[in-house]
Amino acid sequence: MAIAVPFLGHGVGLRPKHFPQLWDGTARVDWFEAISENYMVAGGRPRAALERARSMAPLVLHGVSLSIGSTDPLDEAYLRALGDLVARMEPAWVSDHLCWSGVGGHYAHDLLPLPYTEEALAHVVRRVVAVQERLGRQIIIENVSSYLTYTHSTLAEWEFLGAVAERADCGLLLDVNNVYVSATNHGFSADAYLAGLPPDRVGQIHLAGHTDMGTYLFDTHDAPVIEPVWDLYRQALRRFGRVSTLVEWDDHIPELDVVCAEAERARAVEAEVLEGANAAPA
Amino acid sequence: MLPLRELQLRLSTALSAGPTGTGAVADAVDPALLALVNDRGGLGPAQRLDIYADMYRTRLVDVLREDFPRVLAILGDEEFRALACQYLARHPSTHPSVRYVGRRFAEFVAGAAALPPFLADLARLEWARVEVFDAPDAEPLRLSDLESLPASDWPALRLRPIPACLLVECAWPVHEIWAAAEDPAPGRAGAGRPEASTIRVWREGWSVSHAAMGDLERRVFPLLEQGEPFARLCAAGEAGLEPAAAAREVGSLLMRWLEDGLLARLPA
Repeated sequence: MAIAVPFLGHGVGLRPKHFPQLWDGTARVDWFEAISENYMVAGGRPRAALERARSMAPLVLHGVSLSIGSTDPLDEAYLRALGDLVARMEPAWVSDHLCWSGVGGHYAHDLLPLPYTEEALAHVVRRVVAVQERLGRQIIIENVSSYLTYTHSTLAEWEFLGAVAERADCGLLLDVNNVYVSATNHGFSADAYLAGLPPDRVGQIHLAGHTDMGTYLFDTHDAPVIEPVWDLYRQALRRFGRVSTLVEWDDHIPELDVVCAEAERARAVEAEVLEGANAAPA
Repeated sequence: MLPLRELQLRLSTALSAGPTGTGAVADAVDPALLALVNDRGGLGPAQRLDIYADMYRTRLVDVLREDFPRVLAILGDEEFRALACQYLARHPSTHPSVRYVGRRFAEFVAGAAALPPFLADLARLEWARVEVFDAPDAEPLRLSDLESLPASDWPALRLRPIPACLLVECAWPVHEIWAAAEDPAPGRAGAGRPEASTIRVWREGWSVSHAAMGDLERRVFPLLEQGEPFARLCAAGEAGLEPAAAAREVGSLLMRWLEDGLLARLPA
C-alpha cells in the first residue's frame, strides 16, 4: 500500500502578510499550504482569502490541533469543523502532526512528543484510522521537532512513524528540518531516520529554519534553511524521489519574494538530485 | 512506567503549573515524570521539560498580546505578561484553536485586583473586535436597494443588522480610552471618568470598526436587532420630538447605518 497524493511541486505557506502580493498575481506559486485551524471560522477575511487562494493554485490543509496522540477522546466538534472545511475546500490532502496537544480537556497548543511504545502505537493507529474514516480520505502525519525523549520508549521515532503509516494506512509528511533538529537534540542519526521510513508513504516534505540555542536546536521557522538541512533534503530526495515540498515560515515572515525564492531553491535542489542538473543556487 | 494517559496528565500539569516561565518546571517537577525523561547531552530532564513550559506560556501570552493590544499598551510588557500568566493558570485553553484563548480574559480582568478600573471594559471591547473579525459574512444593504421601495412599504419594513455586529455595554467611555491607548503618552491613557456607554463594533468588508452610540441609536438599535418594523423604530425615536422630526432623526441614523455597511441585505 502507498499514500495516494499528487505531486504538486514546491509550495508556499498561506500567510495574511502576503495576501496583497498574492492577489496581484505576480508571484509564481505551485500550491498553498494553509493552517487548518486558522480557517475554521464563520466568515470574514480568513475564509474569503482561503477561497481566493484555492482559486489560484492547489490547496493543502495542514492542522496543528488534531492531537492524534492524546488520550482524551477525539474532539468531535473539531472533527466536524475540519470535515466541513475539507468538504468546502477540497484540499489535495490533509495533514497534521504525530504528537499530542493537550489532555484533560485542556489544550497546550503545542506539538508534544509521544513515548514510542507499543501502547502509544496502538493508540495512535486506532485514532488515525478513526479520523480517516470520519474524513473519508487518507491523512498525512508529520514528524515533530522535540526537546525530550522518554526512558521507556522501545521503538526509534522512525520505526514508530513507519509503523503508524503501515498499520493505519496513512501517509507521512517528512519534515527534514525536524529530523535534523531532533537528531541533534537527542543524538540519533538523521541518516538512519530517513533510511528507516517506508519510501512509498512519504507524501510531502517540509523544510524550515531553526535557531541554535547553544545547548539545543529550537524549531522556530523564522530563518532560512541551513546548508546541512538542504543536504539532508538531498538525501531524502534520493530515497523518496520527487515529493511535494514546502519551506515553512511562521515567525519573522519575510516578503513573499524571499519565501518564493526558498521554494525555487527547493525546486533547483530537486532537479540537481533527480535530473542531474547543475548545482542549485545558494 | 506510567500508562500513556497518566504520563500526559502529569506532563500537562507540569507544563501549565508555573506562573512565570524558565525555571518553573525545574522547581515544581514531579519526580515520577522526571524519571521518564532521558538525561542526555547538555540538558537534563528538568531543563528539557522547562523548554516546553516556557514555550507554552510564551505562545499563549503572544496570542493574548495580539488580541488585547490596547490592554497591553496600558499595562506594559511585564505587567501584561504577569496578568496573562495568571489568566492562563486560571483559565487554561479548552478549545483546539488558539483563536479562543482570550474568550474569558475580560471576565478575568474584571475580577483581578489593582488594575485600572476601566481595563475590563477595554478588554471586552478588544474581544468584541476579535469576535467580529471572523463572524459570519452577509451582503450589506445599500441605499440603492431601498430607493425603489414604495413609501407605503416603509412602515412595515423590517431591517436587520449584519451578523458581524456586536454591542458592548461599558461603564467607561472605553472608545476614548481605546483611541488614547494607541499612543499611550504618560497621563493620557486612563484619563477620564466613568460614563455609561454603548459601543457598536462591526465589520465592513474586512475592516473592524467601533463607535460609541448616541442616545437615539441606543434606543432604536435594540428594536432593529429584535426585527421590529421601521414604524416602531421611528416611534422609539420620538422621545421629546414631533413625529416628523423623529422620522428625520431616524432617517439620518438609517443613512449612517447604510454608510457603515451595518445592515444586511433584505431577503429576496
